[in-house]
Amino acid sequence: MSTPTPKNQMTRRQFLARTGALGAIGLSLPAFLAACGGSDSSSSGDSESLFFDNWPLYVDPTADGLTGTVDRFMAATGVAMTYGEGYNDNNEYFAKIQPLLGNGKPIEADIIAPTFWMAGRLINLGWAEKLPKDQIPNFANLEDGFVNPPWDPTGEYSIPWQAGTAGIAYNIDVTGREIKSVADLFDPEFKGKIGMLTEMRDTIGLICMSLGIDISTITSFDDAAPAFEKLAQAKNDGQIRAFTGNDYTDDLVSGNFAACVGWSGDVLQLGKDSPNVRFVIPEEGGTRWCDTMILPKGVKNGSAAAKWMDFCYDPVQAAQITQYVQYLSPVKGVRDELAKLDPELAENPLLFPDDAANARLRAFATLSEDVEAKFDEEFSAITGA
Amino acid sequence: MAAMIVASICLVALGSRWVSGPMVAVVVLVLLLVLGGVLGLAVTGGPEARRLLAPYGLLKPGMLWLALFFLAPVWSLLRISLSTKESRFSVQYDFNWAFQNYATAFQDFGKQFEHAFVYAAIATVLTILIGYPLAYVIAFRGGKYKNILLGLVVIPFFTSYLIRTIAWSTILADRGFVVRAMNAVGLGNVFEWLHIMDNGKLLNTPAAVIGGLTYNFLPFMLLPIYVSLEKIDVNLVNAAGDLYSSATRAFRKVVFPLSIPGVFAGTLLTFIPAAGDFVNAQFLGNPNTTMIGNSIQDQFLKQNNYPVASAMAAVLMVSIATLVLLYTRIFGTEDLA
Amino acid sequence: MMRKRTKFGRYALNVFAGLGLVYLFAPIFFIVAFSFNKPNGNFNIAWQSFTFDNWLHPFAEQSLTRALWKSMEIAAVSTLISTILGSLIAVALSRYKFRGSGGINLFLVLPLTTPEIVLGSSLATLFLGQNFIDFGMTTIIIAHVMFQVSFVALTVRARIRGFDWTLEQAAQDLGASPLRTFMKVTFPLILPGILAAGLLAFALSIDDFIITFFNSGPVQTFPLQIYGASRVRIPPQINVLASMILFLSVAILMTGTIAGMRKSAEKQANAKKFKLLHRK
Repeated sequence: MSTPTPKNQMTRRQFLARTGALGAIGLSLPAFLAACGGSDSSSSGDSESLFFDNWPLYVDPTADGLTGTVDRFMAATGVAMTYGEGYNDNNEYFAKIQPLLGNGKPIEADIIAPTFWMAGRLINLGWAEKLPKDQIPNFANLEDGFVNPPWDPTGEYSIPWQAGTAGIAYNIDVTGREIKSVADLFDPEFKGKIGMLTEMRDTIGLICMSLGIDISTITSFDDAAPAFEKLAQAKNDGQIRAFTGNDYTDDLVSGNFAACVGWSGDVLQLGKDSPNVRFVIPEEGGTRWCDTMILPKGVKNGSAAAKWMDFCYDPVQAAQITQYVQYLSPVKGVRDELAKLDPELAENPLLFPDDAANARLRAFATLSEDVEAKFDEEFSAITGA
Repeated sequence: MAAMIVASICLVALGSRWVSGPMVAVVVLVLLLVLGGVLGLAVTGGPEARRLLAPYGLLKPGMLWLALFFLAPVWSLLRISLSTKESRFSVQYDFNWAFQNYATAFQDFGKQFEHAFVYAAIATVLTILIGYPLAYVIAFRGGKYKNILLGLVVIPFFTSYLIRTIAWSTILADRGFVVRAMNAVGLGNVFEWLHIMDNGKLLNTPAAVIGGLTYNFLPFMLLPIYVSLEKIDVNLVNAAGDLYSSATRAFRKVVFPLSIPGVFAGTLLTFIPAAGDFVNAQFLGNPNTTMIGNSIQDQFLKQNNYPVASAMAAVLMVSIATLVLLYTRIFGTEDLA
Repeated sequence: MMRKRTKFGRYALNVFAGLGLVYLFAPIFFIVAFSFNKPNGNFNIAWQSFTFDNWLHPFAEQSLTRALWKSMEIAAVSTLISTILGSLIAVALSRYKFRGSGGINLFLVLPLTTPEIVLGSSLATLFLGQNFIDFGMTTIIIAHVMFQVSFVALTVRARIRGFDWTLEQAAQDLGASPLRTFMKVTFPLILPGILAAGLLAFALSIDDFIITFFNSGPVQTFPLQIYGASRVRIPPQINVLASMILFLSVAILMTGTIAGMRKSAEKQANAKKFKLLHRK
């Protein structure tokens, strides 16, 4: 540039000063924000407030003239509850909380809703708080089948939210016939129109059972290896169109899928609008799963959380939740209460499986960390990720 | 200048935890000394010193931010790619020159790398085929509507990237408008033969993934081409016409060569992000069309296998850098701004 | 003979370009159209019936609205920081000639030529290895500023290329103090470039998905919420909010264009007046 006149020198010094100031502000803003962020997460420790991060569409909302469970809870107990639907996928959520819980820091949510195997993982890692059971008298209403489950042998860390079954969901208009068995999913007639779940235990679970392997007794990868091979073969042949989360209902309705592995409640929720989409527990057997409520380590509002759990285990409240989400409730006495609200639903075999159906259901065994890692790795190789 | 480099190195070292314990204190001290020295010089030094330092003063905050949050992460990535974890869910790493992570990256995910580069390459070519004529028409035939047309091109991309991709998954559905229209016109069989459609499906095919990539990265190709076309003096084309050249010849010999810098820049801005994308493959593809981006995401978030994930990311970065260098050599360096 | 070919070629090219525009707008048309749909299930894919309901209750989805608000907060803060930092860099690069400017140039372009997934995952590895900053708003803002700075610096530099820096000297020769020069001469002239860059940075931040995905921790931004929830449901409110953002951007663009056109029309009118005066 041209030689500086005395006046220009001032300009430069001004520039530098300004730069320094702006730079300082710029670099200190993150610290400022971190402080702000910090204060946010500690606010839940003051008055009775509660943050429950749950799966989407998992509680009855306040709509169509009915008051939702969350609102009823807030009215009954005075707890300021925030209901979040940020739990979309077990692994993704785990990746979010791992840096915090792994370093001994608390997370923002007071209650989270991991699926049973993820709950087992969190409990084994020591990232779950013991439930204040003395503040949850309705814990006694827990169905016998869920007491001291394999993923929480002492029953001190988790309490089920909803349970369900995984089976085959299909669109009869596309398949042209009824589907009864997992073998139908591998029928070349439906090549490229089959869906599978990204939930490894349900997908591999169903295939295992169709091959005669009892999933509740699996201890190593070799036990389930034949199922993995079969699935890998199908994928390479182009039999499988996609691995999905809950969005398979859409693909079923639109005809993208002929049939897929799916969950009972989703199909039920489609209701009368899509009579051609059906759900069936395969002849060889289906899987049983459950989503749980867990207190993450370092939670500040254990008592508020206990109030919520107690509230949800009152059969009257639980029935209203079931009426909306249409999954299996872990609370005793729900069927009778539901009969008062919706008699037809109370007789639905998918919600209340009879003994024959129950006999065909199995829960996936709890895997050790190493074995689980192997399962996840092999499954990822197939889903192509 | 030297001061800035030293400061940057200090920040990178701090950020990537290369040094620890008492060394941290030493590094921080050096950093402060350098910054303080520069500021001191600026305030007290003579006019010459201030003139030299002014640009660096302006640059410092921005460049330091980039040094800390761009260079340091890359360093950190490379470090973790050569580390191992004691258990799947621990948050500590041991750096021990674990080259086997790279071996795993190549062996297990070779197909995903292949998909990424092939799909990105095809998509880039398609964006040129679609974008160049559009840019040409706007630049040379736009007249006073140039800015409006340009605005029209850019407006669709103010909607969310995800929503656009999801929209395509609905548009291309089996019983959706596009498929039905194509079958009605009879193009369905042609597309099957070309392997664009697969057993009546347009969605969840490689074609859909490539289509999504093409659509989402079209403006990145179109805008640079437009910029370089617009700079062309229309008198040159007229001169060519005066010299008895036909329209196509004028294009081939005059316009196109002058627009090559734009095509070059556009190719880089399209191919590179497309190669690392995973959204399109996830919503529009099937399990056999996954790209390296999907694998990196999976290893990171599902398998919690940060070392292998980092190795894959590093390989992606290096291979792209190499491709870009080769490309630059062939076409000559151009100003990318 | 030549004219006929040119005419056909002309039309063909225009038609092709027109088709290109249609291609560009196809998903947009679909998104806006389906914002008026009353979906039957959890996903908005089949047209059922026309309804204004969604537009009357655009914020019915609480988590979605919360996420959008978060995205706006993040975008505001990060745009502010990156615009300042990037503009400083741009001014330094164009005003001064100094050693290393080529290297700085290259370094600025580097984040743009790295795939987002590499940027995002490497930043995540940086944050994982330390304990000072938790994943959350801070990390997202840091990540956004990182790639925004490059965009801003390059955009502003392109815009102020050819800026006559001797204007500053002229102002000071006329007795203006350096601060006054900056406020009255330099800043107003480079302001349009800075504003344009700022708008670009804001848009980039709101829509960023991949980099945010790796660095968000528990915070849900708008794209993250869409991605997460898209496996379970896609409420029509997403279409509504996306359409809103779209219309807003169009409005801003149009006002900018109209303002620009008005200014140039003014200039032309003034120039004409000047000519007329001179003629006399």
